[in-house]
Amino acid sequence: MEQKILALANRRADAAEVFGEEADRTVVEFRGGKLHSQETRLTRGYGLRVIKDGKIGFCSSTDPDRINELTDAALDTSVLGKPAQFEFPEAEKGPEVKVFDNRVMLVSVRRMVNWGKNLIDIMHARVPDVKLDLTFTRTYREIKVKNSSGLDVGFERAEFDLWITGLLVDGGLVWIPDYVNLSNGHPLQFEPLADRLERQAKVAKQKAKLTSGTYPVIVMPTALPSMLVALKFGVNGKQREKGTSPLIGKEDEKILDENLTILDNPLHSFGLASSPFDGEGVARHRNVLFDKGVFKGFLFDLATAAACKCECTASARRGYSRPPVPDITNFEITSGKNDFEKLVQETKEGLLVYEFLGGGQSNIMAGDINLNVTSGFKIEGGEIVGRVKDVMVTGNLYKMLEKVEVGSAQQDLGNYFLPFVRFPALKVATKE
Amino acid sequence: MDTMKSFLKEVLGGLAVDYADIRVEETEGSGVIYRGRSLDDVRRSFERGGCFRIFHRGNWGVATFNNIDENLKGLAKEVASEIELLPPRNETLVALGPFEDTVRIRPEDDPRRISLTEKRSLLRHYNDIILGNKGIATTVSVYQDSYKHVVFYSTDDRSLDQETVYTGFACRAVARDGNNIQDYSDSFGKTQGFDSLKHREPMCERIAKVAIDLLKAEPVPAGKYTVVIDPLLAGVFAHEAFGHLSEADHIADNERLKEMMKTGTRFGVDELTIVDDATMPNERGSYRYDDEGAASERTELVRHGILVGHLHNRQTAQQMNELPTGNSRAISYRFPPIVRMSNTFIESRSTRLHDMMDSLESGLYVVGSRGGMTELESFTFSSQYAYLVEHGRKTRMVRNVTLSGNVFETLKNIEAIGDDLTIFGGIGGCGKGGQAPLPVGLGAPHVKIRNVLIGGK
Repeated sequence: MEQKILALANRRADAAEVFGEEADRTVVEFRGGKLHSQETRLTRGYGLRVIKDGKIGFCSSTDPDRINELTDAALDTSVLGKPAQFEFPEAEKGPEVKVFDNRVMLVSVRRMVNWGKNLIDIMHARVPDVKLDLTFTRTYREIKVKNSSGLDVGFERAEFDLWITGLLVDGGLVWIPDYVNLSNGHPLQFEPLADRLERQAKVAKQKAKLTSGTYPVIVMPTALPSMLVALKFGVNGKQREKGTSPLIGKEDEKILDENLTILDNPLHSFGLASSPFDGEGVARHRNVLFDKGVFKGFLFDLATAAACKCECTASARRGYSRPPVPDITNFEITSGKNDFEKLVQETKEGLLVYEFLGGGQSNIMAGDINLNVTSGFKIEGGEIVGRVKDVMVTGNLYKMLEKVEVGSAQQDLGNYFLPFVRFPALKVATKE
Repeated sequence: MDTMKSFLKEVLGGLAVDYADIRVEETEGSGVIYRGRSLDDVRRSFERGGCFRIFHRGNWGVATFNNIDENLKGLAKEVASEIELLPPRNETLVALGPFEDTVRIRPEDDPRRISLTEKRSLLRHYNDIILGNKGIATTVSVYQDSYKHVVFYSTDDRSLDQETVYTGFACRAVARDGNNIQDYSDSFGKTQGFDSLKHREPMCERIAKVAIDLLKAEPVPAGKYTVVIDPLLAGVFAHEAFGHLSEADHIADNERLKEMMKTGTRFGVDELTIVDDATMPNERGSYRYDDEGAASERTELVRHGILVGHLHNRQTAQQMNELPTGNSRAISYRFPPIVRMSNTFIESRSTRLHDMMDSLESGLYVVGSRGGMTELESFTFSSQYAYLVEHGRKTRMVRNVTLSGNVFETLKNIEAIGDDLTIFGGIGGCGKGGQAPLPVGLGAPHVKIRNVLIGGK
């Protein structure tokens, strides 16, 4: 079909590119400890980008009966479109990256149901008042990119993961989040997961109070993504093009603590955003964003690279229904040397955060954040003593990241690979 | 309709299951984006796809698809046999009688009749108004429309052929003074045609002015405040903090939550009435039938401070022995419907804003919303900006004002409710269960609340 669309478009456009996406997704969901539903989602769609008289047009469709109209509509939009400052690339060889393990595709719905029931039974035996919500999501995805410069690339990816939310209703609600990436084809390991959930659930039953002030805060990998939104925004080439990133003109400057090396890593084995090619068919590679705290550069797709007169970093993200935009693939913070237990023991009074409620990005451009802690614990005298409520962490993300300590082990969160991060002094607002 | 309906009937026809429904959607949309002076993106799309759901022995099986052909019959049988394997559960759906209806949009509301050039011109006009203000560094202005045609059929002989339309635009102004970058945005959207978007120049002037004013605003000192919140932020509160709690799919399976959200429980002051109403004409969250083919309703959630209702689909209504409310919605054919809000608002009362402010010795007047989130009883949302208030008068403008807390406590801390209900739409929407953005409306009059935790500097 991609070839047919490209042939039709080539007749009337000066240049054309077709992005084809096919996905077969299975979702098995448990709610409140009970099997809730299973879903199959089959997707097939095409995005057509054309260049005509030096301007870009775009149209997408999932309707095979309207393929002929796709070219018309894309050309229609090109009349008003943005000037094309780039050309569609020619084919190049992509890197080897592990993104498909056939064992993932062989896991039946029944097996996912059994895994879910096993985990729920184990947890029920250990902490009966925790209700588990589980979501298994397994996706087979096939991407094809073809263009009028002769590029014809594609890949298959098998994505499989499990999101867990434990809900403890104990005079108030406490959320216990966890995640397992199962894309490498290995079966679910129940015991380590149950151990982690049990540890959180047990301490969550104790209540603790924290007064407003400045404290050392350990942010666990599950909570970091909500915090890092502003940083992802800052390194995006689109913001460089628009002039709205605070990192403009700061290449090779030390911005963050030297303990922080941050990568955009599309080559991470079985990362949910790993791939040999980006959404424009350009061969992927690792991009170092911060090397020991020094900012190394922005992420660009073809259009933003051309607009900023920079090199494309193979960072085009897209689905069939949207034109490409630059974006980070797998967000990776390199592990440090710090041991979690040891840092807790060394903390006289502090906060440990497993989950923030999002929505606290008050000025994403400047990096200002106000994050509500939904799963947080007080550390006192070197011990985790109980959960805290009505607590917010406030400040500027870039300032916060100027001084940190980094944990020694990365947690795989699918498209984030993160250790815990300890901030020596963050401003914490509470109702106490 | 008849051909499609017959085909859908055939797809589900051979299944020996308790209930099944199928909906097929065709959508056509267009979008224009300006960033600063340049037209950044113009796009069109045609989508066709569908979703069927099978309910058997208390379990659901769902499939979504793009290919609408004979293979669907096989897929339906496959899904039916997969749910046969699941352990039976003691669940049923509320019975609704046979029904058939057709809903058409007014021809003049159809955005497909308007050329892309005309859509672009209106957006450029609004974008230019903002850029014409000194101090504005850049803008992001977005126009969106979509026409949707849904054919629905369920095995209890209910069928529907419904058209819907959404149009809207949003503008964000970015003001810059050296390293100080501030932004402010607003949006407008209705279930009406292109003409409803005209004459919005004052909104664009205001967007620019606030962004520029924010350059001089300091972050608010964090702490506890008595606040007067404007109708938009109060609407976000009604939606985020209370509306989501009223969605019965959270409640029905959890005995302790059921207890917490029991009708008859006092949730707030006598003045407080919170309503979800999908029947309001032309609002962003309005519709005639939900995605289970149930008629839309006006549902009171809280009346005079007492919890009186929940939002339901056919399953949760049965589970909780209440009536269905027509709140089963999906953002598109790619998802099964789940319990969602429509237009959620706090009803007007008698206090005038002037009197509300007069009685505020020291606190904040908080305006607008940058979005918010809840996890059941915990909420957090960011406002656009605020003013410090002393002796009833607004003094300095402040920014980075994020409110958070416990919804039950906050509702009890309401001191006054204004007389100036306003409903807001926009082009974004609500997110839940991976489905975003769902078009919703929200609103309130001004509301005064004591003891609110504010995050700032």
